[in-house]
Amino acid sequence: MAISPFVLFVHQSAAAENNQGAQLAAMCASCHRLDGRDQGIPSIVGLDQQKFTGLMEAFRSGKRSSQIMNVVARSLSAEEIAALAAYLAVRPRGSKQP
Amino acid sequence: MALTPRAARSQTKARVVVIGGGVGGATVAKYLAMMAGTIEVTLVEPKPRYTTCFFSSLYLAGMRSFESLTHGYEVLAQRYGINVLHDSATAIDPVAKTVALKSGAKLPYDRLVLAPGIAFRFGAIEGYDEAATQIMPHAWIAGPQTELLRRQLESMEDGGVFLIVAPPNPFRCPPGPYERASLVAYYFKQFKPRTKILILDAKDSFFEQDLFQDAWARHYPGMIEWLPAQFTGGIKAVDVKDLSVKTAGDTFKAAVVNCIPPQMAGELAQQAGLADQSGWCPIEPTTFESKLQPGIHVVGDATSGGDMPKSAFLANSQAKACAFAIATALTGSERFAPHLFNTCFTFLAADDAVSDAITLEPEAGTIKISEILISQVGESVETRRQVVQQANGWYDAFTHDVFG
Repeated sequence: MAISPFVLFVHQSAAAENNQGAQLAAMCASCHRLDGRDQGIPSIVGLDQQKFTGLMEAFRSGKRSSQIMNVVARSLSAEEIAALAAYLAVRPRGSKQP
Repeated sequence: MALTPRAARSQTKARVVVIGGGVGGATVAKYLAMMAGTIEVTLVEPKPRYTTCFFSSLYLAGMRSFESLTHGYEVLAQRYGINVLHDSATAIDPVAKTVALKSGAKLPYDRLVLAPGIAFRFGAIEGYDEAATQIMPHAWIAGPQTELLRRQLESMEDGGVFLIVAPPNPFRCPPGPYERASLVAYYFKQFKPRTKILILDAKDSFFEQDLFQDAWARHYPGMIEWLPAQFTGGIKAVDVKDLSVKTAGDTFKAAVVNCIPPQMAGELAQQAGLADQSGWCPIEPTTFESKLQPGIHVVGDATSGGDMPKSAFLANSQAKACAFAIATALTGSERFAPHLFNTCFTFLAADDAVSDAITLEPEAGTIKISEILISQVGESVETRRQVVQQANGWYDAFTHDVFG
């Protein structure tokens, strides 16, 4: 069976992305689609890093109220939020995975 | 014994075999294939398609199609290069590191992951055995059982009793039996308004009890009756011939019985020596490696560990922590602190849903809740409607994360 070039491409690009941001974003992917599509839960890819960090700080302090995001944000350190912000900011909408 | 990265590299490719294609197993397979491209991943699952137990009570209530609950493995095979085998594992040899399949094939592995889900303790309730499930469906492993229960609900006459037997702790989906009562009530309210729902519980209290009892009084006054074990003396036996359930002091007859029996880890976990006396599988809290069989990981409802509820959401969260730990063990990739998170979206009516949010952390060899927030009684209609929107968006994103 021939292996399609697309499969090879996914494997190569995916292997390169096993960093802290990618591992943390895996947690987000349980609710937020990382391909930019959204149905009732907002998309978080392609967000400006400062905007993302500001939002997470507001969720952490409770200034912005959301049962789920308040709990999630309080479980992340400042370093983890920065890693996530950097990872999500450069993810294009409409990407194929995950 | 941990396989060192050096040993893994000396082979052509490290091999991980995942047994069980439910939420936990499919997520481990996908994240290993996607984020550790040098690992060869095989997923063993007998069924061609998976039906989610979560959201299946919406199908019972006529609010979702059966098809919408069903997911295939094509994307996992085609996009991520996972070797999906529709076969059953019959035996594990942890010394030779091989898995025997029903077809006769033998799969060698460097790491093995079991996601066996739940099995039922048949015989714990006298008269409730495998054959009885065809008369009194549990519908707690979704699929033909769910369709059978729906047919029974549809053919019920108005004015009968729908009886739910609710299981003792721990069991799959703590709010599940009570969400089912709520949604079946929603269906009865529209089509069979004189029908009653009786819950015979093996417990004296249940998760989010105040939220459910508030909703039952508001949406379905007088329709749902819940009897705790301290009132009935516990569920002792069923009789499939006259559709009755016996407690210590009474016999309750019904038109339809949904018997959700006591549970334990799936059969293969029991056979492979992964379950302890509790019937569940103890695991290392950061890697999900079995505490009983090194080199074999267990994820999903079959695991036991501190405060972890048995939910698809947490199975998915565990599976990611497990996949990253295996990637580190086999390829030497960097590992960061795992995060375990759980949310349950629970429907009380078509336009009324609640949620909880739980973060969990490894602590002293087990897993403890670090923070929990739950919806409150008295929230506005608008707030509850927003949770319905979120819940539907979540189902789409979550099943995409697992199977897409």
